[in-house]
Amino acid sequence: MAETKKVIVKVKRQAGPNDPARREEFSLSWRPSMNVIICLRDIAENPVTRDGKKTTPITYDSNCLEEICGSCAMLINGKARMACSALVDQLEQPIRLEPLTKFPLVRDLSVDRQFMFESLKRVKAWIPIDGTYHLGEGPRVSPEVQAKGYPLSHCITCGNCLEVCPQVNEHNQFMGAAIISQVRLFNMHPTGAMNKRERLEAVMGPGGIQECANAQNCVKACPKGIPLTESIAEVNRDAWKQALLGWFLG
Amino acid sequence: MSDTASQPDASYLLRKLHSFTGVLPVGAFLAEHFWSNSAALVDPRKYDEVSRDLQTIPFRLVVEWAFIFLPILFHGLYGIYIWLRGKSNVSAYPWVGNWQYVAQRYTGLIAFAYIGWHLYTERWLTHGKSTYATVAQDMANPWYLAFFVVGILASSFHLGVGIWNFLCKWGLATTAKAQEAAGRLGVVIGVAFSFVGILIVLSFRLNWHPFAFYYINK
Repeated sequence: MAETKKVIVKVKRQAGPNDPARREEFSLSWRPSMNVIICLRDIAENPVTRDGKKTTPITYDSNCLEEICGSCAMLINGKARMACSALVDQLEQPIRLEPLTKFPLVRDLSVDRQFMFESLKRVKAWIPIDGTYHLGEGPRVSPEVQAKGYPLSHCITCGNCLEVCPQVNEHNQFMGAAIISQVRLFNMHPTGAMNKRERLEAVMGPGGIQECANAQNCVKACPKGIPLTESIAEVNRDAWKQALLGWFLG
Repeated sequence: MSDTASQPDASYLLRKLHSFTGVLPVGAFLAEHFWSNSAALVDPRKYDEVSRDLQTIPFRLVVEWAFIFLPILFHGLYGIYIWLRGKSNVSAYPWVGNWQYVAQRYTGLIAFAYIGWHLYTERWLTHGKSTYATVAQDMANPWYLAFFVVGILASSFHLGVGIWNFLCKWGLATTAKAQEAAGRLGVVIGVAFSFVGILIVLSFRLNWHPFAFYYINK
């Protein structure tokens, strides 16, 4: 019988945020259409390193396996991307897996992206529809707004745009492209526009849109192809107009 | 303003001011400066006439400080502060925009250092009374010449990328297509400024006046 093709995976492991990091190498049997999540599952099934040492399964986040839940973002061969859509046949081996670096580490490849959720809350990234009584029908959304908003609604809050942004780091609490793009989405919606001013004030607050330095890495790294730089520019325009008018005309 | 929402914070206003001053008045002054110095391409006498006109403007010190020195000082120092708050990752993500992000910081620093030296040698040491002869004498020094060339290229690049950044950051170029067009405009501006700047240097260095036939004796 011919020897089966092997896939070599090198994982950065860390038991907790304050524990020392180490690398473990695994040799897995190749299968067609294999992706990085399948590698991690195979390791969990048989957690033995390449040199035969028994170890523990690797901690990682994943859920949908079709690039819509946003949970499996990690560094794959040094690049931020989704593990579920990272096909082994298209990756250089050994495949190096590391956790995202811009979020607090939980364990191994799992990070805590609470910062993004907090930022979404700060900018009120929702459309308030609930009242104490029936508010009636909302305004119609024009087909043009629908067409512009739909791609923005694809955001899966994976954090890749923050990971690749040079302005997101330990000295700088920049909220990042994903959040600003959500501001654009909800301000675009006729009902959402009722809170437009509050959202713009939030993006002009600490860690807001002013921290963007236009490196435009976000749009390159976005797995959903969201026009993030367009969103930032649009929100920038609305923001300075509001700042200027608010300043002069109160 | 609603009391529940946060006000635009100081860093927002300072960032906007940083972006704005880069174009107005700093970028505009660079254009004026290259334009005035282009007089050397006509004739040393023309250069001295233009220089004298500028040296004798009313409220000279106020104009210099309000529209040239202070804006450059603010733009430069706040720019360094912005640099320190970023963390380059161009080795992991070697994309064009990311390279520009890094280059914008280094050219800004080079231009800032150059402008400091340039002000010292051509404004301070000459007591604001530079003539064609004093500049040509400085340009005869190969180190001065080299620093002039580096300073001109760094400033021109920084302005070109800066115009692109400005158009994106103020939402004047929003779609990917518009931002590409803004990028091409930035390239044209950067190349044009570099070209004119180098011509001026050559004019002083080689006593070369390609537009000499324009000159009319006063």
